[in-house]
Amino acid sequence: MSTQETRERLELLQGTLDLLILRTLIFGSQHGQGIARAIQQTSEEELLVEHGALYPALQRLEERGWISAKWGTSSNNRKARFYTLTAVGRRQLVKETAKWKRLATAIGRILDPAKGD
Amino acid sequence: MLRRKRKPSDFSAEIEAHLGHETERLREQGLSEQEARAAARRSFGNVMKVEERFYESGRWLWWDHLRQDLRFGLRMLARNSGFTVTVVLTLALSIGANTAIFSLVNALILKSLPYSHPDRMSTIYTRITGSRPSDERHKLNGEQWELLRDNVPSLIPAVSSPRTSGVNLQAGSRVEYVLAGRISAHFLDVLAVQPVLGRNFLEDEDRPHGPKAAILSYSLWRNAFGANPKIVGQAVSLKGEPYEVIGVLPEDATTPLNADLYVALQPGRGGEGGGTNFECITRLRDGATWLEADAEINRAWQMRNQRYELENNPGAQVTYHSVPLQRGETARLRPQVLTLMLAAGFILLIACANLAGLTLVRVMRRTSEVATRLSLGASRWQIQKQFWIENLLLALVGGVVGLGVGFAALRGLLLLLPEHFLPVARVPLDGRVLGFALTVSLLTSVLFGMLPALASRNVDLRSSMASRAVAWGGSLRLRQGLIAGEVALTVVLLAASGLLIRTLVHLETLPPGFNPNGVMTAKASLDDVRFHDPAAFRKLLVESTAAMRQILGVQQAAAGLSLPYERTLITGGLAIGDGREAGQKAMADEVYITPDYFAALQIPILAGRSFSEADGPDTQRVAIVNQVFARKFFHGANAVGRYLDKDTMIVGIAGNVAMAPGIDPVAPLTNEETMYVPAAQIEARQLSLLHVWFQPSWIVRASGPVDGLTAQMQRALASADANLPFSGFYSMRDLLAKTLVTQRLEVALLSAMTALALLLSAVGIFALIANIVAQKTREIGIRLALGSSIRQAMMHIGAPGVRASALGLIVGLILCAGVLRAMHSVLYGIGVYDAPTLASVVLALGLVTLLATTLPTLRIARIDPAKTLREE
Repeated sequence: MSTQETRERLELLQGTLDLLILRTLIFGSQHGQGIARAIQQTSEEELLVEHGALYPALQRLEERGWISAKWGTSSNNRKARFYTLTAVGRRQLVKETAKWKRLATAIGRILDPAKGD
Repeated sequence: MLRRKRKPSDFSAEIEAHLGHETERLREQGLSEQEARAAARRSFGNVMKVEERFYESGRWLWWDHLRQDLRFGLRMLARNSGFTVTVVLTLALSIGANTAIFSLVNALILKSLPYSHPDRMSTIYTRITGSRPSDERHKLNGEQWELLRDNVPSLIPAVSSPRTSGVNLQAGSRVEYVLAGRISAHFLDVLAVQPVLGRNFLEDEDRPHGPKAAILSYSLWRNAFGANPKIVGQAVSLKGEPYEVIGVLPEDATTPLNADLYVALQPGRGGEGGGTNFECITRLRDGATWLEADAEINRAWQMRNQRYELENNPGAQVTYHSVPLQRGETARLRPQVLTLMLAAGFILLIACANLAGLTLVRVMRRTSEVATRLSLGASRWQIQKQFWIENLLLALVGGVVGLGVGFAALRGLLLLLPEHFLPVARVPLDGRVLGFALTVSLLTSVLFGMLPALASRNVDLRSSMASRAVAWGGSLRLRQGLIAGEVALTVVLLAASGLLIRTLVHLETLPPGFNPNGVMTAKASLDDVRFHDPAAFRKLLVESTAAMRQILGVQQAAAGLSLPYERTLITGGLAIGDGREAGQKAMADEVYITPDYFAALQIPILAGRSFSEADGPDTQRVAIVNQVFARKFFHGANAVGRYLDKDTMIVGIAGNVAMAPGIDPVAPLTNEETMYVPAAQIEARQLSLLHVWFQPSWIVRASGPVDGLTAQMQRALASADANLPFSGFYSMRDLLAKTLVTQRLEVALLSAMTALALLLSAVGIFALIANIVAQKTREIGIRLALGSSIRQAMMHIGAPGVRASALGLIVGLILCAGVLRAMHSVLYGIGVYDAPTLASVVLALGLVTLLATTLPTLRIARIDPAKTLREE
């Protein structure tokens, strides 16, 4: 068995999945499974993304117009639905990232006041 | 409904693709095909749940659910057709009653008057403080009018005659009796009514003795003049004189008078203007404010010479203020209409209580259905939603049917009303009424749905799945409470309508003071230049009454200015001429009569003599007064031979006769101080004015039915004057009905609503008992098997209904103690706490309760103990 089950992984905070999806798509269009893999790998397997949760989130982002989707063929010649960041989504990503960073800094200050950066 | 473009199958395909990718990746890591597929599924989570979430996030979902709930609701309602019909009927009747009454409220109180900028129209109220305070619309005298016209620049003021009077109009070869309204120059400007042809009255035409001009209503122009487009400028023969037609009003134009035609009022300080005889309406000029207008009115009217308001009211403060015309015009009917609305509200509450009881039972019966649905995974919210949707469906169906019932009821009601009874031209079923009906329907559904919804919240899965039995105790209490509540409201309505019925009976059986049987009367207009001459007037009366006496079967014929039950001319400025009371001012109803008036109506002469042909224009001026007059001004001493105003001798005392009140309105019919004078002694200057205000009546007494009496009366009149039409023929019963029309209407409407309330209460009690019988069949079976008699079982089962009703009766009587006092002012001849009325209320309610509890328990007699015990 792989290491996946032995390491304790972090569950995603409410609302962060959207941000991660948008961030992942900045490198180009990707299908759902690819996005899930990318999140897991980039976070060095720290984050637990239940794959099933990904699709309603993708659907939501698509309905908001932040990403667009198109059926295509993946590298290993399978059919897959590919998602691409839209201009609106890109702007949203910048905004959400800034917000997230401020939040993380603020929480960091409270949890570790000695550092005082 | 915006449907999303993506189909669920597309979403599933994507998930399938994901699982494929993941499986392949894991296989590349060295897992077997089977292991890889399982791991991919595991890391994905619940596929079905994800697909469901996709489906539910779609915007069509609630619509789907609603359609499903609606379909299910309709099926449930169709299956319980008895329940559905009961509920819809109850709703239809109560919403119908409310809609009909609300239409009246809407037309009379809420809707703007049908004029342009009605918010700028007003009338003037007089507020008097002091020992006898009041705040009401007064009529104006000539002095007030002139001051108002000349010194109040903020307003366009106008005056009119308070009511229309009959006049003779020559149309072609025929003379017709039509109703004329007399209006001042700017009256139509205040109403913002512009003629379709011609123009409004000029100020010059409105001066006393100004040119004679007339404006026709659209219908008269069409009916009497064939819609002649060249009518303006032509002369028509009106009141025996040529009047120039100067205008025709638009087809839909209404005025407070709603006359057939209008002539200029020509108000002045003298004559008619000497008393308060003008009705006033005003319109605020652009740029002016009501405050300015009121200040100007007060300034103008404080400088009057004659301040009649202060007479008999020393130390009083008098101020004037503008009141919206809407309120001024409807003040008379406002309390009645609001009372009816309150009664209609009661009906609605009663209906709600009934429906709450019915739906409660229904929900209880469906406990096992609810439990089943819950155990199959339905959420409590879904169950609640289902109930609410069913209630809403019922309310909407009931509302729509109710609107139909209301429309029909309103049509019927308006047919009952005499013409021009309402100060508005139409009572429309407009958007506001529709909105009201809809709101009431929704409100009702919330009211009657709330209880059962609450009750169904605590369905216990395990116990209700296990048995078909229904949780009782709490719900029975609740239903008894509901019934007590509705019975209490019914008691209040019963008592109120009982009191009104007793009032009406009192008024209708009031000793009239004359013999109304076998009397036929008819009016004619003598507001005609031919009869301004006293000699011509006398000749007409003598010849016409003589001709009527010739009719076979006619015993007596007479004429008089007014009849019993009617309003009369009021004479102020009388003074007692001699004796201890000399100089004392007196006010009385004055009626001119021909000598046979008392004989024709069979009014008794109690002392002295009646008039005779000998009482002519050149002989001693004489009068006959009634008992009330004699008692009030002569304190029981013999009035015969005494003098009024130095020159008029009282020659007789007549019995009291019921009249419409004028001097001091305390009741719709009253015995007022009355003075009769011979028609032959009326002076010329009085004659014309009297006949502007009043159209005298001819009275014929016949021994039995006379064939073609009315035609013969018309012929008899024609023999004296060929161009004098009667307005119509009335028996004394017609006149009584006309006088009491408000009371009759009130009684009819309130009684109808009370009957409805009683019916609903009976249905409520009936349903409660019927339900208990159905629920307790088994228990009754056991009781019967154990030796209880059917009677005992019936009493046992019926008792909760009787108890609820008795409680309601007590609460209702307590409510009556407070509520009925408000009716004080509309009751005549009986007290507010009228023992016979209250006794009838208790009796009626007792009977209804007995019926409603006994009928459903009759079924007990058919219960076979052996059979019921074998069931279950």
